[in-house]
Amino acid sequence: MTEITSEYSPEELMAVVISREVRDLETVGVGAASPIPAAGCILAEQLQAPHITLIILGSKEYYPFPAGSSELHFLAQRGDLDLFFLSGIQMDRHGNINLHVLGDYHSPQMRLPGAYGSAMLYYMAHRVILFRTEHSRRTFVEKVDFVTAAGSTPESVYREGGPTLVVTPKAVLGWDSAHKGWALEAVHPGSTVEEVQENTGFPLEISSSFKITPPPTERELSVLRTIVRQKLERIYPEFARTKIRSDQK
Amino acid sequence: MVQAGSMGLPFIGVRGLLGSDLLRQRPDLKVEDNPFHPGEEVVIVPPIRPDVAVFHALQADRWGNAVTAGLRDDLMMARAARRVIVTTEEITDQDLTLQDAVNNTFLPAIHVDGVVHAHFGAHPCRCGLLYPADAVHIKEYLNAAKGEETFRAYLDKYVYSVSSQQGYLQKAGVAAITCEGNRQ
Repeated sequence: MTEITSEYSPEELMAVVISREVRDLETVGVGAASPIPAAGCILAEQLQAPHITLIILGSKEYYPFPAGSSELHFLAQRGDLDLFFLSGIQMDRHGNINLHVLGDYHSPQMRLPGAYGSAMLYYMAHRVILFRTEHSRRTFVEKVDFVTAAGSTPESVYREGGPTLVVTPKAVLGWDSAHKGWALEAVHPGSTVEEVQENTGFPLEISSSFKITPPPTERELSVLRTIVRQKLERIYPEFARTKIRSDQK
Repeated sequence: MVQAGSMGLPFIGVRGLLGSDLLRQRPDLKVEDNPFHPGEEVVIVPPIRPDVAVFHALQADRWGNAVTAGLRDDLMMARAARRVIVTTEEITDQDLTLQDAVNNTFLPAIHVDGVVHAHFGAHPCRCGLLYPADAVHIKEYLNAAKGEETFRAYLDKYVYSVSSQQGYLQKAGVAAITCEGNRQ
């Protein structure tokens, strides 16, 4: 098992930051390959948001439907999904995300699994939080190689919601809908504004509500490392065991 | 699109997608004015009706009723497909009903055209709680799939040079996994 030497792992920090964004009574969806948002949402349900309806693909406990993943997609299409999480190999200054290819579409350097509904979910979930464990210039780019889902759309397109935040191990970027771009909303303890800007491939405005992320509280970490870790182990066993420290009580 | 195929619809409207480069690569995704909300652009897509869909089941009966692992959208795909083949870990003497698919997915015989007994038929992928994915084999497949020649060699080794499912399993070293899985 991996030994986590600092006070908390980057994944634990991201899960805590995400958990604070979940509002009570919301309908919250977590898609495939999303262990950090899954941890964050289960944590939120244990703390400030006990009445959320939580849907996690790949989970038995958090799957209130009788059929497959189409259920979550149709729920979002009906406009009933409050919060969803997406990632991408690249994200750009206009809020576009890329889940398709690196390089040219027809002779790509790397071919990825594709949209899997994200080009609908990004528009139809009321709020979308993006997450990425690598905060670097190759992930945060001026323009993505391929727009899988667009950050903003013209007036003539029906859209329930869209980007709100990006959560990384270094910072939180907030979506500025007036300027259709990202602003630096918070940097995490141990990181600096300069370091974040240096690792972001486009200029970041500093948000008027900018702050240093309050570090995870003892309570947040202890619930994350006990109840949440236990529940997560049934969905993402490898991730729960290696990225969330065990806190035997 | 599969949903439209499963319902026999001529096309279906889809939310989102506008602004995605998908529309440039996929001429079958069309942007139209929403006739019910003039001035609003919507994406219209044709139905998908696969010629054949193949599902791997935990159990199937002699009529073609089948149970696949987990809660899945297999029924939608089965309705959309023109022919449906079920491969199965086991063919049971007992007739299967919806009640046999608690926490799993029931495929009724009316959608199924053929059943093939294929023990470990999901390999190298996992099959519910019966056996896990074979990560080593999947890695080999991914490496082989990078080029025409290496992929041809993969097919020669695992498909063309064996005459049965048993032959494939032996070549892929699945006999070992079998015993492990059954003991659990």
